[in-house]
Amino acid sequence: MEGQPDSGPLRVAGRALRKSFGGIEVLHGVDLEAVGGRVLALLGENGAGKSTAVKILAGDYRRDSGEILVNDQPVVIRSPRDASDLGIRVIYQEFSDAPDLTVSENLSLGNLPRNRLGLVDWAAMRSDAEAILDELGINLDPKAIVGSLRVAERQILEIARALAGDARMLILDEPTSALTIEETQTLFSFIRQLKAQGAAVIYITHRLDEVEEIADDVLVFRDGYVVAEGPRSSFTRHDMAEAMVGAKLDETVANLHADHAEPGQPMLELSGVTIEPFFENVDLTVRSGEIVSLFGRLGCGSMELAESVFGLKRLDSGEMTVAGVEGQVRSPTAAARRGVGFVPVDRKEEGLLTVLSVAENLSVASWSLLTRMGLLSPKASLKVYERWQDRLAIRGTRGARQVVSTLSGGNQQKVVLGRWLERDSKLLVMAEPTRGVDVGARAEIYRVLRGFADEGLAILVVSSDIEEVLRISDRIIVMSRGVVVAEHPAGGVDRARLVREAAASHHEAAATGG
Amino acid sequence: MTTTETEHPQAGAAGETLAQRASRLFISVPPEAVLLAVLLAMGGWFWNSSEVFMTTINMRNVLLSVSVLGILAAPSTLLLISGNFDLSIASNAAMCGVAVAMVADGHSTALAIFVAVIAGLLAGALNGLLVSGLGIASIIVTLGTFQAYRGIARLMANGQTIRLRGEIDFITDRIVGIPTQVVLFIIITAITMFVVRYTRFGRAVYAIGSNLVAARLAGIRQRPTVFVLFLVSGVMAALAGLILASQLDAASPNAATGDELKVVAAVILGGASLSGGRGTIIGTLLGVLILGVLQNGLTLLSVTSFWRDVATGTVLIAAVGLDRVRVMLGGQ
Repeated sequence: MEGQPDSGPLRVAGRALRKSFGGIEVLHGVDLEAVGGRVLALLGENGAGKSTAVKILAGDYRRDSGEILVNDQPVVIRSPRDASDLGIRVIYQEFSDAPDLTVSENLSLGNLPRNRLGLVDWAAMRSDAEAILDELGINLDPKAIVGSLRVAERQILEIARALAGDARMLILDEPTSALTIEETQTLFSFIRQLKAQGAAVIYITHRLDEVEEIADDVLVFRDGYVVAEGPRSSFTRHDMAEAMVGAKLDETVANLHADHAEPGQPMLELSGVTIEPFFENVDLTVRSGEIVSLFGRLGCGSMELAESVFGLKRLDSGEMTVAGVEGQVRSPTAAARRGVGFVPVDRKEEGLLTVLSVAENLSVASWSLLTRMGLLSPKASLKVYERWQDRLAIRGTRGARQVVSTLSGGNQQKVVLGRWLERDSKLLVMAEPTRGVDVGARAEIYRVLRGFADEGLAILVVSSDIEEVLRISDRIIVMSRGVVVAEHPAGGVDRARLVREAAASHHEAAATGG
Repeated sequence: MTTTETEHPQAGAAGETLAQRASRLFISVPPEAVLLAVLLAMGGWFWNSSEVFMTTINMRNVLLSVSVLGILAAPSTLLLISGNFDLSIASNAAMCGVAVAMVADGHSTALAIFVAVIAGLLAGALNGLLVSGLGIASIIVTLGTFQAYRGIARLMANGQTIRLRGEIDFITDRIVGIPTQVVLFIIITAITMFVVRYTRFGRAVYAIGSNLVAARLAGIRQRPTVFVLFLVSGVMAALAGLILASQLDAASPNAATGDELKVVAAVILGGASLSGGRGTIIGTLLGVLILGVLQNGLTLLSVTSFWRDVATGTVLIAAVGLDRVRVMLGGQ
């Protein structure tokens, strides 16, 4: 570490940072400063430059120009290692843990305690791990294999790993996207604890309610520039949203529920369905022309319910009728044949044929329908692309042949969605339809969903995003601990009530639903 | 301040050096074009260094020598694209060759060929069942059957080379002046190319290799697809066994030893990705031809077989390395 005075709060600053990729500048001379004892929230749509700026501080990217100062002294950060030596730690959305090792091994990864013979000191490792977990108030078994943990638990572990050692500045990149409300609160209390110890925190997020809760300062990025900054208290939620999206805001706020005609025939009817231990005795009907949201927190059972509709899970008991045909769906292939489409949560892992083209990704679910005399012409896929490109506003740089993984998150999601629209699905099941999708594309996806609902598509959305649920649903069904605890028509409920209902305890949930 | 921002990237484009322009061109050409250039350059060099190289007889020899490799490489390309390996093909070929020779001794040729094809099909079916039925990784399954099938071939032949009786010469005969095995190689390559591009099955192979889970969630059935690939691989192995036996008028249980790795080398040289989803039949064809021309040319130049092996390995790594550089220059 090069000459930092120990007194006074830590200040880490980037000055006039610029960065280009492939000749296109994405960061146009940006200043930012994080101060010890304060939380700086970085806001912006995807591609606004916030992640790029942070990756420069973290040593993941080399800046093209500009400098980084720690307490006014220029420092050299050429690699994540350099940043880490300066006490700058980053937690990215993707896991960087070793899933086949235990929690305690992961906590001492790269720094295994060794005994006098130079061999691994397992006892010391275990006790170190326990000390770290205790200090942070994390309830994880040090002996658990990391790959067997839930997503949220792995996220917490990731944070614990970053905090182990001498962290002076912590950068969190959308850390709560997979966390439950309680886990988010646990995370926030770590952050407050760190703040109290004088660490500087940079918090990247899309969620304005989190900014209000945790941030001291706000910095808003748009198109590679900093467009607004100041203490959090000087921003209203509306100010922040407006700074993020520019003038586009108005068209994206109102609930899209229109007073259209009565919903039509039921496309999905569930009665008394149960899969132990995920959900029990659920009744649900989704009609042609309506968007029904299952709102609940991670682990409330709604995801498993959605999977059973697409044939990924078998019901223990209860009746299922899909598009008028009784009987469980046995497999995804059978689901597609019965007119059910499914947009999974994890786009990269479960949605995209990553190295294939946009056209093939759009047409894949319909290949059986596009086959003529045993042949599937490549032109058929191109036609599928032409059919959907405008209607879904798929924005790529190389048209139908572009490799799908090079699209932005929002466009990728449109492709996975379009796949089932092309298949002419009667019932669409979407899990977290806009996770990792920027504000602009989000509005487009909502518009498309509403448009198709108006044409008679039945849509079942599983979501833990309250804004989303309020914006798109005709009916909101709240689940908690595997049972339905409430049902609301569009516009008939407010945010606070939904949060309260989704947090219903086991006892309350059982009383309402069971 | 705004001015500098807009001018910065433009200044870079105008001041592009020759090296930058060359690297841009290098990035933009398809990988098959690079392979074709390598093949032509090699051919040109051998033509220049050896009088014999560019003769009809020698060109025919090159094609004869690569056709077995090519016939095996076609299904292997599909398997690799789907994210699977078949390491047992060469052993399977030897086993089928021995079966032909044994049945042909005393029975009709047609029956011998039928038995061989069925043997290859069954061997492929066993691989397919273990991989798509039990879900064992194909590299493990076929590493096992690679040993087992070779062992069965040796057991059947009692470790001896069996003379081929009867008339199976048709395979070394010619169709319009071209040796039958070369014709088979061309037909199989053409059919595979067509299947890959114009059938649902072919596209499903890519989808499965690209992302198994996503393919399943899009309604594609992985198990039957992979099973069929192993069946095809088994039948092609039988065909290779027949050709090898008829070439020598004898079936050796040690025939085609090591060919499974040559096949993998040709497929990877052709641009198929070990992680699946990527690869082309035209690339594999070029890969097969490059390996064949290299072997032939170096033999003509009296390079010893030890050095030929070194050269083959070097070309494989160089070609894949070149493609890697291309990808890196292209940025992610």
